[in-house]
Amino acid sequence: MKTFRDINCHFWNRVLAGVAGLTVICMLWPVSAAAHRVNIFAWVEGDMVHTQSKFRGGKRVKMGEVVVYDQDGKPLLSGKTDDQGEFSFKIPGEMSMKMVIKAGMGHQGEWTLPLEELSGVSGSTAEPATAVMKTSETPDTAKSGINSEEFRRMVEKILDQKLKPVIGLLVETRKEGPTLSDILGGIGYILGLMGLAAYMHFRRKSAEIGTGKKD
Amino acid sequence: MHISEGILSGPVLISGVALAAAGTAIGLKKLDYERIPRAAIFSAAFFVASLIHVPVGPSSVHLILNGIVGLILGWGAFPVILVALVLQAVFFQFGGITTLGVNTMIMALPAVFCYYLFGSLVRKRPRIALPAAFACGIFSVFFAGIMVGLALIFTEENFLKVSYLVVAAHIPVMIIEGFITAFCVAFLGKVQPDMLQR
Repeated sequence: MKTFRDINCHFWNRVLAGVAGLTVICMLWPVSAAAHRVNIFAWVEGDMVHTQSKFRGGKRVKMGEVVVYDQDGKPLLSGKTDDQGEFSFKIPGEMSMKMVIKAGMGHQGEWTLPLEELSGVSGSTAEPATAVMKTSETPDTAKSGINSEEFRRMVEKILDQKLKPVIGLLVETRKEGPTLSDILGGIGYILGLMGLAAYMHFRRKSAEIGTGKKD
Repeated sequence: MHISEGILSGPVLISGVALAAAGTAIGLKKLDYERIPRAAIFSAAFFVASLIHVPVGPSSVHLILNGIVGLILGWGAFPVILVALVLQAVFFQFGGITTLGVNTMIMALPAVFCYYLFGSLVRKRPRIALPAAFACGIFSVFFAGIMVGLALIFTEENFLKVSYLVVAAHIPVMIIEGFITAFCVAFLGKVQPDMLQR
């Protein structure tokens, strides 16, 4: 019996080492962070809305369907993501929008673009870039210098350009895969549950022994 | 194999929860104290296995390990997979809390099914234990793919197409899992034969 228990103990040590090893392998796996959650991120640039969809861990969603809904949940338009997981469309109107990425096989993610982010282009949803050119050509604005509306648009355009790399960086780095603490935390919970089961079992057992002694 | 939140309709979600609860109750009843540590180990393995992913086509798939979990634990696969799925939902945002029931059914029911299909072969016929374990690994994933198709039947409307897509995407995983299951059975057969004899 004793030898059996020894073997048993030895075996569980081995299994534990195996699980630990598996965890380490997961961390070192080239594309370690598995992609089983899909995220979509949208940002406004000029009169276009750009979206990028990724599985968790960074793999781009290729040929995924993006559906854009208005605030009432009515579908406005839809399209497919390209090889970079990106899909862009012209702002259909001044409203908050919800983008849903459908990556197939039950994978879905969404992102809401609030009205505030669109407010910059609300004045001229149709053609802000060309509008700047047109207004600057009109004689009265040329005389009186730059009016505030035009100035606002110019600043916006420059900001868009300047912020492009920053937004790109944000898109690249957002939401990486699970961290080591996530993984170890999960395993810790499982071991904790096992400990709880052991505690309940031995409490019951010791209670049985206790009543046995009284009898 | 995790279905995200916001896809399935209420009735599907509720029936998933009800069925998963029934399976978990049976599993907990059958899971006596001596088998708790091994259930915990397999729960941890299942939890971590989802991080090993195989890039396939537009989607991405990962190891599931429901075959070996079912083979060793039988109905115990239900509580084991449920616990791992809760933790995956919380820590990794895989699947979701509302889809827990459906996702548990998707992965645990094939595990129990494979336990009945291959369990006695692996236990009682040492000569074909390894091929049976390999088949167990393959079919557990295959049936899980069909379960995904079933779950999506009311939303995507094309059961055959969805099932075909999911199963096709999981072919590499099926083969890998076949090898893993066979390896585990061979390893346990040498190191800890009682584990296979329940």
